[in-house]
Amino acid sequence: MVKLLKKIIFKLYVIFLMAFTVWYGYFMYPLVFGFEGKEKAEASLMEIGQAHTEEERLFVNLISSQGKTQKTDLGYRLIEQPYIEGRFHHIGFEIQSDNVSICVHCHGNTPHDKSREVRSFLNMHAFYTACETCHIRGEKDNPNLSFRWYDKETGEISNNPLELVEIEESYSHSDGKNYYPTYGDYGAKIAPGLMKEGKFSFLKSHKDKSFVDRYLAEKDKLTAEQKSQMEKVIHKQVNKQPVECNFCHQEEKSYIPFAELGYPPRRVQELIRTSAVGMIEKYKEFYIPNFLSPGKEKK
Amino acid sequence: MRNILSVYFIFCLLTVTGILFFPPEVYAVDELNCLQCHKHRGLSRIDEDGNFRLFYINQELYESGPHRHNKCKDCHTDIERIPHDPAKKVNCTQECHIVEPSGQRKFSHKSVAKTLTQSAHSKIDKNGLPKEHQEDYPDCKSCHDQPLYRPFSAFKGDKIPGVSKRAMGRCKSCHTGGDFAEDFYDHVTTRLHKTRFPMETIEVCAKCHEDEEMRKRHELDDVITSYKETFHGKLLTLGSERMPDCLDCHIVAGENSHLIESKTEPTSAVHENNVSTTCRASECHEKAGPMLAGFQTHVTYDRKKYPLQFYMLVFFKALMAFVLYFFLVLIFLELMRRLFPTFAFFKEKKREDYHEYVKLIKDSNRNKH
Repeated sequence: MVKLLKKIIFKLYVIFLMAFTVWYGYFMYPLVFGFEGKEKAEASLMEIGQAHTEEERLFVNLISSQGKTQKTDLGYRLIEQPYIEGRFHHIGFEIQSDNVSICVHCHGNTPHDKSREVRSFLNMHAFYTACETCHIRGEKDNPNLSFRWYDKETGEISNNPLELVEIEESYSHSDGKNYYPTYGDYGAKIAPGLMKEGKFSFLKSHKDKSFVDRYLAEKDKLTAEQKSQMEKVIHKQVNKQPVECNFCHQEEKSYIPFAELGYPPRRVQELIRTSAVGMIEKYKEFYIPNFLSPGKEKK
Repeated sequence: MRNILSVYFIFCLLTVTGILFFPPEVYAVDELNCLQCHKHRGLSRIDEDGNFRLFYINQELYESGPHRHNKCKDCHTDIERIPHDPAKKVNCTQECHIVEPSGQRKFSHKSVAKTLTQSAHSKIDKNGLPKEHQEDYPDCKSCHDQPLYRPFSAFKGDKIPGVSKRAMGRCKSCHTGGDFAEDFYDHVTTRLHKTRFPMETIEVCAKCHEDEEMRKRHELDDVITSYKETFHGKLLTLGSERMPDCLDCHIVAGENSHLIESKTEPTSAVHENNVSTTCRASECHEKAGPMLAGFQTHVTYDRKKYPLQFYMLVFFKALMAFVLYFFLVLIFLELMRRLFPTFAFFKEKKREDYHEYVKLIKDSNRNKH
């Protein structure tokens, strides 16, 4: 019995050594004949080299630099941040992407570009406000919609973000030090929904996402007419006239109940009374009279 | 008297209102309250050419570098009011409000720009004429992102990243006002070692020097790949900060770090007459002989340009492959034998005859007995 056991152990040992020899040959191959990473990089650059127009170059560059990050090692701290070509100021961190929104799936995080004056502001809101919050309207005077935060990862209702508390705390420090709360990266977004029998449900559900996902998967099999039909159906609820800035940034009856969503009192004041409203008024005065109604703008 | 009291009352009311409703979000450099908008991580757009433009300013990181006392408007001079039009490109050579302590003049990067015009990266040639392919030559932002301090302490001899509280305590015993001591400490200690981790410097140079099309236009070798294949490059990849990056070899010790010259220039740090002196820098190969760098440091295996190096590479790769894989196959076959000691594709006839012969002998012996 012992002899048999010894024999089995020996055979297993030999099999292990054989496997190791094969793996070692595989492992050494790139070291002998060159690095795989280098070949990939060269192939990518070759592709860029063959791009003739600026648009082609940008397209290939975007494809080849997907997910590219930049590391800055300060010795006492390592900063890892997304790489943006030509950017001077450090970003410091990557913002959590929205894996749930069906709109972001196609339109991305920075879809606004029609209105030159406010496009960046609208995109800023898109990082913590779901598209349907502004693009599917409730009535201003009689809103049927309620609002909750949804988790960008799971899509479930999430608690009010802790970052909002940090913002409140940053106001109260009086020790002379600077505190750096994060604005806009809450891991969650505000989205509208309906209350039915005391239970809240978002306007856009998992079912809607499955529907769009299925459409995208089957898109190539549909006829051109069917594609147009499907896109019409998907965007059916989207209102041509989105919610305007002063629906929310106004003192009387804000469209979004900031306080209920966890915004600290002082931040609420900024949003509905002072800084945000002041900014809107300045825009209104200096730039465009219809700033508050970006959808109405023709240019 | 009543009027005075009324004015006083209105003044107090306005002050209180101001404090309550226009809270001082105190930022050292943010007089115009730019961060009211630019503190939002998502403030961004895609521009007309399809480039992603992010307008977020990370205040914490902004305050971690030498620009921390600059107001936004010191660089973005065209911004006169909020809200503003798209900002113009920043001119790094303009004077800012900071007074340069050694000359008591307004600070400017003009001297750096002047040095750059004498380097290989200048857009103009020696005769003052613009070089070909202007777009290939770098400007400030091609190599520099926002600089950050990399302070360190060496209280008991060992270099420790970060600010030394002990040293700061000593500085602060005299220099109590503002954050002068912190600024001075950060600035000086950052300059005492590499202001960037070496691999980051390599990546900066690689932005252009890895571009094959650019190399073709300027007839340059693939120096990034060849550097990474050197001993220096490999140790750097493994995380060593002691290995030389591009700047260590391509800048004459004590010179302005923007004066990188072509190896054909007699004053260049890598000119054939100077390269051994460069290697013998006090921090590197101090006792090395003059022939240490008497070889092609950036070995490039271009068949047409460097045929000797190319065929040498082919030979050594073939030799290495043959030796390695020959012995690996040998070891594998040996292990196979251990696993199957009696296995054979073809049984030898003689051996079979031998077994029959042995059997016959055994049988005959048995019969005798």
